[in-house]
Amino acid sequence: MKAHYLAITLHGIRQNNFQAFLAVLGVTVGVSALIVSLGLARGARQSIGDQMLAIGANMIVVTAGNYQVKRPQDSGIAPADHGFLMPDTSVMRGLASMESPRLISDLEKPETGGATFLLAHYEDDPNAEHDHPTAAERLGDAMAGLGAAATLSIEDARAIENSLEGISFVASGVHENARVSLSEEEGGKSWFTRLHGTEPTLPSLRAGWTYTSGRFFSESEFNDKSNVMVLGQVVSDRLFGTNANPVGETVFLWNQPFEIVGVVSSKSWASRPAAGDDQFDAIYTPVSTIHELLNLSKLNTITAAARSAGETSRLAKDITMLLRSRHGITEQMPDDFTVQTQAEKLLGSGLPPDVARVVAGNMGSVDNITMEQLSGSLERANTTMVTLLASIAGVSLLVGGIGVVNLLLLSVTQRTKEVGLRLSVGATRRDIVFQFMSEATALTLTGGVIGILVGISVVHMVGEFLGWAVYLSSLSMVIAVVISAALGVLAGLYPAYKASSLEPVGALYYE
Amino acid sequence: MSRFGEVVGTNEVAVNANVIKLDNVRKTYEMGETSVHALKGVSLSVEEGEFVTVTGASGSGKSTLMHILGCLDTPSEGHYSLGSEDVSRLSREDLAEIRNKKIGFVFQGFNLLPRTSAAENVEVPLLYSRPLEPASVRKQKALSALNLMRLDDRASHHPNQLSGGQQQRVAIARALVNDPELILADEPTGNLDTDTGREVMETLVELRAKRNITIILITHEPEIAAYGTRIVSMKDGLITSDTSNQ
Repeated sequence: MKAHYLAITLHGIRQNNFQAFLAVLGVTVGVSALIVSLGLARGARQSIGDQMLAIGANMIVVTAGNYQVKRPQDSGIAPADHGFLMPDTSVMRGLASMESPRLISDLEKPETGGATFLLAHYEDDPNAEHDHPTAAERLGDAMAGLGAAATLSIEDARAIENSLEGISFVASGVHENARVSLSEEEGGKSWFTRLHGTEPTLPSLRAGWTYTSGRFFSESEFNDKSNVMVLGQVVSDRLFGTNANPVGETVFLWNQPFEIVGVVSSKSWASRPAAGDDQFDAIYTPVSTIHELLNLSKLNTITAAARSAGETSRLAKDITMLLRSRHGITEQMPDDFTVQTQAEKLLGSGLPPDVARVVAGNMGSVDNITMEQLSGSLERANTTMVTLLASIAGVSLLVGGIGVVNLLLLSVTQRTKEVGLRLSVGATRRDIVFQFMSEATALTLTGGVIGILVGISVVHMVGEFLGWAVYLSSLSMVIAVVISAALGVLAGLYPAYKASSLEPVGALYYE
Repeated sequence: MSRFGEVVGTNEVAVNANVIKLDNVRKTYEMGETSVHALKGVSLSVEEGEFVTVTGASGSGKSTLMHILGCLDTPSEGHYSLGSEDVSRLSREDLAEIRNKKIGFVFQGFNLLPRTSAAENVEVPLLYSRPLEPASVRKQKALSALNLMRLDDRASHHPNQLSGGQQQRVAIARALVNDPELILADEPTGNLDTDTGREVMETLVELRAKRNITIILITHEPEIAAYGTRIVSMKDGLITSDTSNQ
């Protein structure tokens, strides 16, 4: 707007301060209602999405091995045993393995290598015979390396990360059951828990994580194969007591000292830390450190996060295709890995294997009606509330707009002489149209800007005092400004037309 | 009619150039079925620096004459030249520009914008000038016009803080701000008491003497008309007398 139009506009508005205030108030209420409704809508949607991510609805877990398929050598084993072999969660697995005759015989095998050993081959295959001391013997801990059984490689993890669309993060993992102790000597305070050897990307997959103290291990600690450890909240509580800060302390795993760099807990109502859970009754170390200590090269799991929870089923299929081709599995042969979505894990756990198999077979549809439906119904409830607020915003804006029209029509009548004077000193019809249009726009924009400020404060207060999830986007401010400007133009049209069609003589001598 | 044409003719012999030349101007208003003939053929020439007062009873056509002279209205018939330009058939936009550049108006009711300072009121015509001058220049011009009216100490006063005479002098400053060729005053003393009215008239006389500006003033009061150098009387849409008053 040119400077002189601004001067003319300000002159005009000063003529009717009180009516101007009322018109501005209407627009203010409308725009702030708009900002609040958009803020709450986005906040609620964000919050629903966050909770879905926090409980891992977008998570896809690839596990080495395939419990659904009876392999030839398994033929004599009862279905209940397959339950023990269900991947990833079962604490029993390690214990079952410990009792297996093979490992005991491995332990009994005499070794002559001394302090350093030539490690001729990796100990990935639990059935292989070793011509060097096993991890358990080298580390002096009978339980070291008991969970090793793997068909997945780091390269598989990178392939999933790089070649599939819709995957946001991938973390590889080796999982063991292990005892973590406060001191090297026997009999010190210790806790039997789940050990996850993983990558520094893991926190990106765990949207629901928060750090009670410290941090996750870093990229450089991962590359250096450092003996660093992140404790789950439950482990920290058991070893150091609640409210303790164990960062910087040393704990022992397989008789090796590990420095604690952080304690991780949950921020979601959907998953609270509990003894026996897989995330917080757990310890985390770099997978590179575990590979080094246990002389391993393979992985137990690859965990991938889908960008959105609704895509997990499709991505699970894509991952299966990719890994089958990477592992050279021909059409008739079964997978040598298992791909599960979080929903499958939730539904599948605790079921008898035969039932679990049936559930898994129908998982494509089951998956869709669980998380996606839960998320969907929350979204619908949210939409209802937002629609209500948006209607209030709409009605207020309409009332504000009518207020502006009314003010300007009134002022066209009240200010007929002014229009006449302006015409007599050289204003054209266009000048008069501009004057009334810009007065209207200045009023609605003022209302709009105040409305944005009020809206922001209300949104903050709702967030602060009611604890609702809120989200202010700059887009909503832009929308508010555009709407208030457009309202001004619309409201100004008719009064401006009326004012500009006045004849100079008639207007000058109007009483 | 031709009689006045001859009068005009004799005036043309004078040294000064004509600022205004009306040639047989008629103005007819259509009021439904009937037609009102406000001007029935008026011819008039005014030279630069003249102070013409137009008198007549209400309904004599003097107001219509002033509207046409002020380019607020156009003649139904006849021609009107302002300076060297025939303005009788110009568009609304062109007329607006002529009003802005060449004519300054002074009204009976002052027509100042309320809640607006004297300086800002004087500045209003400059806001519609093309090309637009910078704000500092506009302000400077407004202040010097106020200064000419000896109102520089009232520049920031609002109209309701000024006396009637001061308000009318602000209005005269506004009429002068764009340095017009012609000042048109419509009953400028009508709302003022006798003393203040005389003061305003003396301001106009002084202005004409100082700046050689052409003034046409409409009044129904003979004593106000007597300030003019030339007195034109009207009746029933016609000029009935046109006398010099030196």
